[in-house]
Order: sequence, then structure tokens, then C-alpha cells
Amino acid sequence: MEYRTASETNGKHVAEYQNGFNADLHVQEEEGGRAGETETWSKLSRIQRAYSTVLTELGEDVDREGLLRTPLRAAKAMQFLTKGYHETTQEILNDAIFDENHDEMVIVKDIDLFSLCEHHLVPFFGKVHIAYLPNKKVVGLSKLARIVEIYSRRLQVQERLSKQIAIAISEALEPAGVAVVIEATHMCMVMRGVQKMNSKTVTSVMLGTFQEDPKTREEFLSLIRKN
Amino acid sequence: MNGHCNGTIVDIHAVKKQQQQQQLSAEVTCKQREKTSRKEAEDASRLPAIEAAYTSILRELGEDTDRQGLLRTPLRAAKAMQFLTKGYHENVYDILNDAIFDEDHDEMVIVKDIDMFSLCEHHLVPFFGRVHIGYLPNKKVVGLSKLARIVEIFSRRLQVQERLTKQIAMAVSEALQPKGVAVVIEATHMCMVMRGVQKMNSRTMTSTMLGLCREDPKTREEFLSLTRH
Repeated sequence: MEYRTASETNGKHVAEYQNGFNADLHVQEEEGGRAGETETWSKLSRIQRAYSTVLTELGEDVDREGLLRTPLRAAKAMQFLTKGYHETTQEILNDAIFDENHDEMVIVKDIDLFSLCEHHLVPFFGKVHIAYLPNKKVVGLSKLARIVEIYSRRLQVQERLSKQIAIAISEALEPAGVAVVIEATHMCMVMRGVQKMNSKTVTSVMLGTFQEDPKTREEFLSLIRKN
Repeated sequence: MNGHCNGTIVDIHAVKKQQQQQQLSAEVTCKQREKTSRKEAEDASRLPAIEAAYTSILRELGEDTDRQGLLRTPLRAAKAMQFLTKGYHENVYDILNDAIFDEDHDEMVIVKDIDMFSLCEHHLVPFFGRVHIGYLPNKKVVGLSKLARIVEIFSRRLQVQERLTKQIAMAVSEALQPKGVAVVIEATHMCMVMRGVQKMNSRTMTSTMLGLCREDPKTREEFLSLTRH
């Protein structure tokens, strides 16, 4: 049962392995898996060592109880926070695109977003509002949130993040228009540097009808406004 | 002299004393500047090692450290970390700066909603929130901003919220010897919100009550109701 679980976690179709037991494929997967695991582990230990250095150079005592396993935890945390590099839109969309005769605006708003500023490696977080005008094809709603996850779990700049989300949806669905608005708080501005507690950064990307038709854009913006 | 003086009385002795004092304070400032510049030099000398560590981290995470957006990131991240842990180089005595005054006031003094930003020592991810501090003076009051500065000293370190609360309370207690001290911290931990269990709206509250704030429930209740929102 081991290999079946592995294939499911990798997002592959279980059906691929259901038709009998393909020994060669199974062995390859196992070996590839093991080699992959070893590589992941050695990367992890290198990141761990780097974090130990950082802690020592900051003047902390890496042997005290609270910090004993911190390099490992911090390394794993960073790997989790940058897992978006290893995911693709194609995989997570999972064919959840359906033919539907709907051409009115579809909005998914207030999607929580957490990302890392690529300049200071400090988090920034906020909310994403996504809208699109379907062109015969609608997508599973959670998939919009998953697209946000892919691109936000990386070292990012808010402008690029908004654009990547918009283009990903545009390429996947070929809709009549896409609009993405991100409103975020940047810890690099709040907890260090200029230290402005209440500042927020808003970026938006409008494609297709949202860019050409001001009324459509206005409809979207008024629907995501907080009342 | 009473009627014809223009009000300016020049007292030679006072002027000499002033000059002596100015010289003394200049020496102290010089020594302080030496101390600060030594610390800055020490910080700057450790930067390359931290920078190299961050470059290694970025590479192992799979990023391209030569792309434009990441070129100076190891340096920026290293400086950011040094800033976020600058509390290690500060001590309460220095920042209190003798701003303790004798005042015949024995009612509760509260400074609330002090924004606090710290780093979780387990994951090196920020946690932030608000601190409310209250104390019952015992003939001595402290400059109000000094309470916020005490929060800064202890929060700009690798911390655990429980320990942070206690350190702030103990610092206020030792500096002022008041009849009671109460510290409450309400914070959001990014290590719980952006990774791990991922609970967006969770908040952690810790409190430390010393002296009368601990022994007398009415005093504690007064503090808690005044800091409630």
C-alpha cells in the first residue's frame, strides 16, 4: 500500500497504478522517491547549519534549551513558506474546469494571503480578491484560492504576485476578463525600517473586459468594498 | 539692585559649575558614543557571516540568488535580523535614563495598547500584538514612554511570549519597587497563522501579576476592566 499512498500525495491519478502492479514503474518511483528524499534531507541540513550560524552571529546561545531545535524548525518553516516553487497551476487545478453557460462576474473575495518579502525575508500578509468573467468555462472556487497559495508561498514582491495570479487564471480559463486586487500589510515596513503600524499596500491587475470597460471594473470594485 | 536690575544676575560660581557639568556630560556622551559605536562596529563585523548564511539558505530553498530582486537580499535580511534582535544590546538601566520621579501618587497607572513586535525563538517567525502595563506607584513614578521602551528592549529578541511578559513585569518591578505590577500581552503568532496549524484568527494571551495586583482580586479586576476593549 506504500506506493499507492506516495502516488496520491504526489497528486498523480491513483488510476495510473490501479491496472495491475507495474513492477518497473513501482521500483523507479521508489528509487526516485528515496533519492529525492535524501536530497531534500541534505538541503534541510544545509539550511539548518546556515540558521545555526545566523543565531550564533546574532549573539544568541544555540545550546540553550529554547533554541536547541530551532535551526531545524526554522529550516522546515522556510521550506513550507516557499513550497510554491514546487507546485504548478496545472497540477492543482486538477481538471476542476467545467463547462457552464454563465457569463456574469464570479468573485471570490477575502482570500487570506501569506507571503515572504523577497527583499528582507520577512512576512507580508493580507487579503486577495479575485474576479473573472467566464467564457463558457468556470473553475472550482477553491482552485482560485489554491492558485493564490502557489504563488504566495514564494519569495515575492506584491506587484509580481498580483500579476502572476491574474495571468495564471487567464491562461487556465481563457475568460473574458480577470481582476485581482491584493491588500496587504508588510512586516518589513511595520516591525522595522520606517515602522508605520497601520500602513497597507494595495495592488491590482485588470485583464480583458476589466481593463477595457470601466463599468465592469466599477462593479467589481464596489462588490469587494467593505461595507 | 532691586529696582534697577534688568533681571539678569550673573553668578560666576554658577557659571563655573555649569561649565564643569557640561564638560562631565560631554565626557559621558563621548563614552556612550564609544559604547554605541563599539556595538555598531561589532554588528557590522558580524554581517558577512550572517549574509553568507542567508545566501546559502536562499540557494538551498531553490531560488536564484543572482536575479535582480535577490541580489542584495542576504545583506538586507541580515541587517533586518540584527535590528529585530537589538534588544540583546540594551539594558533597562540605560534606557530608563533616570526618568524616575518622586510623586505622591498611589493610584494605578496604566499604559495600554503598546504595539509589540517580536520573533518566535522556535521558528524565527514574527509574533506581534499589544502590551498593557499597569503599576501601583510607591512614591516613585516613571516617565510613561519608558514603559514602552522597556517593552522594546525585551521584545526585540528571540522570545517566547510567556517569558517576555515576565521579563517586562520584573523589569518594571525592579526599577520602581512599586506596590504591584500587571502586564498583559495579546499577540498573534505567525508561526501558527502562516504555517503549521494555520488558524488565522487565533490570539495568545499571557499575563503576569506581581504584588498587590496578584494578592488583591479587586486591584486585578480594576486593571483588567480598564484594559479591556
